[in-house]
Amino acid sequence: MNVTKTVAELCALIIDEMYGELPSRIFSMLLTRGRSTILDLEQSMEMTRSKIRHGLAVLQQYNLLYWHLDPGAQHAFYEANVENAYYLIRAGKILEMVETSYGPPAKDVMQNLLLSGQTRIGDLVVAYQERIEQDNKQKAASPDEESYKSNLLVKSTGQLNSVICRLVEAELIDLVTADTFESPDDILKKVEKEVNDKHFYGGVRGTKAKIEYQEKLAERLREVRSEPKSLKRKLEQNGSSAKRRKLLGGGMTNGLVEDEMDPALDPQQVIRVNYEKCTVDLRNRRLVQYASDLFGDTTSYVYAQLLRHLTKDISRCRLDPLVDHYGEKEDGVPAQKFVTTAEILDSLKTAIDLSVGLGKTTRKMLSKKAATAIHPRPPMMKSLIQEAEVQGDASSDEEDDAETTDDEDYDGDYKPPPLKGVNGNHGTNGVNGVNGSARADDKDQEIVWDRPNQLRQHLLILAESNQHLVRHCGIDEWTVDFELVMASMRVSELDTVIEQTTGPKGLRLARILRARGKLDEKALPTIAMMQKAELQRKLLEMQSAGFVHVQEVPREPKADVKKSFFLWYSDLDKTRDRVLDTSYRTMMHCIQVLEALRHKDRDVLSTTRRSDVKGKEEEMLRQEYFQRYKRFLQSEKMLFSQIMRVDDLVAILRDF
Amino acid sequence: MEEGEAAKVDILKNTLYDTVIQHGSNTRLFTQSDLLDLDIIPHRNLQLLLQVIQALTNDKLLVGVTGGQGGLAWKYRSREDAKKYTSLPDETTMLVYQAIDEAGNDGIWKRTIENRVNISDAVMKVCIKILEQRGYIASMRSVEQPNRKMYIRADLRPSHRATGGPWFTDGQLDGSFIETLEGVVFEFIKGRGAYHQAPGAGSGGATRIPKRGVVTAAPTVTAGTKRSAKEITSDDVTPAATPGRPVAVASPASAAAAKSARKPEMFLPMPAGYKGYPTIHDITEFIHQLGITSNTTLGENDIRQLVEVLIFDGLIEPIKVGKRRGFRALRPTKQSTIPYNIRAKEMQNGIGLHLPHTGVLPPTNGLTEAPCGRCPVFDLCEEGGTVSPSTCVYFMEWLGLEEKKKEGDGVAEVKVEAGSDGKGSAPP
Repeated sequence: MNVTKTVAELCALIIDEMYGELPSRIFSMLLTRGRSTILDLEQSMEMTRSKIRHGLAVLQQYNLLYWHLDPGAQHAFYEANVENAYYLIRAGKILEMVETSYGPPAKDVMQNLLLSGQTRIGDLVVAYQERIEQDNKQKAASPDEESYKSNLLVKSTGQLNSVICRLVEAELIDLVTADTFESPDDILKKVEKEVNDKHFYGGVRGTKAKIEYQEKLAERLREVRSEPKSLKRKLEQNGSSAKRRKLLGGGMTNGLVEDEMDPALDPQQVIRVNYEKCTVDLRNRRLVQYASDLFGDTTSYVYAQLLRHLTKDISRCRLDPLVDHYGEKEDGVPAQKFVTTAEILDSLKTAIDLSVGLGKTTRKMLSKKAATAIHPRPPMMKSLIQEAEVQGDASSDEEDDAETTDDEDYDGDYKPPPLKGVNGNHGTNGVNGVNGSARADDKDQEIVWDRPNQLRQHLLILAESNQHLVRHCGIDEWTVDFELVMASMRVSELDTVIEQTTGPKGLRLARILRARGKLDEKALPTIAMMQKAELQRKLLEMQSAGFVHVQEVPREPKADVKKSFFLWYSDLDKTRDRVLDTSYRTMMHCIQVLEALRHKDRDVLSTTRRSDVKGKEEEMLRQEYFQRYKRFLQSEKMLFSQIMRVDDLVAILRDF
Repeated sequence: MEEGEAAKVDILKNTLYDTVIQHGSNTRLFTQSDLLDLDIIPHRNLQLLLQVIQALTNDKLLVGVTGGQGGLAWKYRSREDAKKYTSLPDETTMLVYQAIDEAGNDGIWKRTIENRVNISDAVMKVCIKILEQRGYIASMRSVEQPNRKMYIRADLRPSHRATGGPWFTDGQLDGSFIETLEGVVFEFIKGRGAYHQAPGAGSGGATRIPKRGVVTAAPTVTAGTKRSAKEITSDDVTPAATPGRPVAVASPASAAAAKSARKPEMFLPMPAGYKGYPTIHDITEFIHQLGITSNTTLGENDIRQLVEVLIFDGLIEPIKVGKRRGFRALRPTKQSTIPYNIRAKEMQNGIGLHLPHTGVLPPTNGLTEAPCGRCPVFDLCEEGGTVSPSTCVYFMEWLGLEEKKKEGDGVAEVKVEAGSDGKGSAPP
């Protein structure tokens, strides 16, 4: 993450919003001054040490700080953790995601973790225990014990334990370790030193040694990185919950059984929210939305299942070049993860009708060869640029399907690998009505697929898309090239911004320039089919919005302006940076507007904060006052949801 | 001797000219050996050939040009054209006419003629006047350089390059024509490249065929108890059992809605490998048969230009199936199923004017919906500046607090009163 002035200001505002002014001021001081000890802070902030300590403690509790203590040194160096500060915005979204995916109790636990920062498991258990006891007392006190409805989501410490286990297995929660508060640079330095001392005492010489050094480094960094996941590994050694559920005969949930099966967690261990994995899950959701937008709901549901399987073991959206470039390789190519059709089929809800959302056509109109073409290697990034081009030559990896003729039948009797449990006897009845008799005589009949084939059709639609949603990487094996699909999604988001800012004509010009590269103004009217005057106006408008740029190329050494070429071009990276900056500032403005509103309604708000008014605002406040309070709450909600929506865009452009 | 020689040249001249006409069009170049090979000049006498050619050139029947291989070559000119030349009063006018003649149907700029013939503006004017009077030339305008005064031979029509091709009417880009055609082409691609699901097709039986070219909907097979993904997601899901279910489709109302109308009328994506996506050729043919472009014929290249614009607009995408390069509409499930002509009528009657002419409403995102995304003074806006977020009128409007701001004074008064009152009445 690039820490620009805007980002720094935004983060300070967020921290101010969440944790008050003191931590926020210390945070922005750390950003302006860089690494500082408490002495430096004392001096630059002109505050007492105890106050600064207090602020630092808050920041550390919420993981907004890195610190580093050299052996033997008296004072630690503190550094701001900008990523985590920004992620605070995403808390609401993460909670929503956890609730839909793992249920309300998980959300409750997650919310408490977000609210209290890193927590010892024992403390969490104690806190819950208190609430449960209180609830039990209320239940006993209530007149009708049977009808008493508890508003507690987590009803026993056993359930709490199992919820935490689930979240740990999903990597959404990880452990706080000794290295958690070391900044990435410090960790790298430490590991470098370690590797040097251990293996390359005499220094690194020669190409071979250099490669070896890099590999050792990557290996060690991976170890450090996976340390917080030790709890997950321990749980997996016991057999993951999914496996156990299967052994128990496939019962969906049976709270009691699960509670007893999960090992009790060490109460001394400290846990925290793992934003990296949360981002992966959020990315899945966004991708599903993207697919739904392009191909409809059923197809996107299939896509969601595919992504869920595929990202189970993906811990982060963007790979670290230093760590992930080396290792986990087979013959020089990184090992590829994929999902099979059968796996997806097994996880689809039986109530889903897969025939919905698929166009119907006849056998004659389909080219099986083109549809089921297998691409074992990801296509080059280049193809994305050519996407908009119509006449682009077939790239080399597409050549092999040149001989495709139309008489390839779409054979309905494609035999999926034997599926366990599902449709055990599907080869013998049902489907055959189509397969056996109809196939030979009429190609003009509409194809009727059985369920596995319907699923395949949805996957093939995704694989055929220009947006690289899915790659058919082997027979019945599917994978996703996240880099490619995210690139296309990023472009589509930027296009949205361009279209909304400068209209459809602006979008047309931007896309032309992107597809054709740099163009002289004279060449544009014909391609864009626009009038010259309108075109010039639009280009200028877009230039000031930062979506297109102009380059002056002198025709002669004297660089006469009249004789120079003016080439227009559109640079995606520049546009992206610009849009990002606008987004940060928009979020900042939202917070500032909220602050202004608070100031305006401060009298109402101060009244509502009183303990006797709190919770009973409607009865306690005068009508007029209450209306104002309601309106303020509504505005607050709108502003916060707006921030979240802008963050959606930021996430796509920057994090996913 | 002299006279005999002249008569001989005269005869040879006519014979040579008549033979040359037989050997090709007036753009063909004849080299010296070509002319000798015609076997008209006795003994391949070069001297004689020279005289004959000179005579023909004087009559403007032959034009000397630089040949393909760098040598001298000639092409002929028809007798009528030559007559135009010879009827002109002087050499200068002739040169001017020649320049215009050579430019063909592209036309030539007045300034270019002046430079080439090397004459002054006044002389030029006289020449032009003579030529225009005789009806040999006409002035024209080119879309490439609309401010330049250009001339063309009166009997020629300006080329596509000068008129801008079929998209221009009277030198102006014909926006409404293009827009209409874009709509028609888009509609065609949409209909051909997606499956049109007729409403309520679940029970089987005859289905409405929307329009020609669309793959027809036949009885759907599975009408049983299965439900669509949309309905499912609104079900109560057991925690931890189905992580990662789609959010985009979750809506509590959809279950009830979907029960009453099982299959809404909509477009669906075609299965992969579909060979029916329309190609440029198909589209051209369709436009041709439709006959909406009565006075201009659109070639495949014109249509390609149009289709590319649709791609750049983000309405359609190219899709390659095998060797076939077809096109389909983006976001088929979001497309309106109302045919284009009905849509156009509705628009005329003022219905649905907020909807785009073609395709779906452009997508929006968080940034473009916030006031800041569309703010004209965004770059100036800063806390403490002349324009600042805390005083932003756009935000107040967006939050629906606009009226409140206007009566700010009134509110302030109430505040004082209510503040004391609130305290007094607060204890229960």
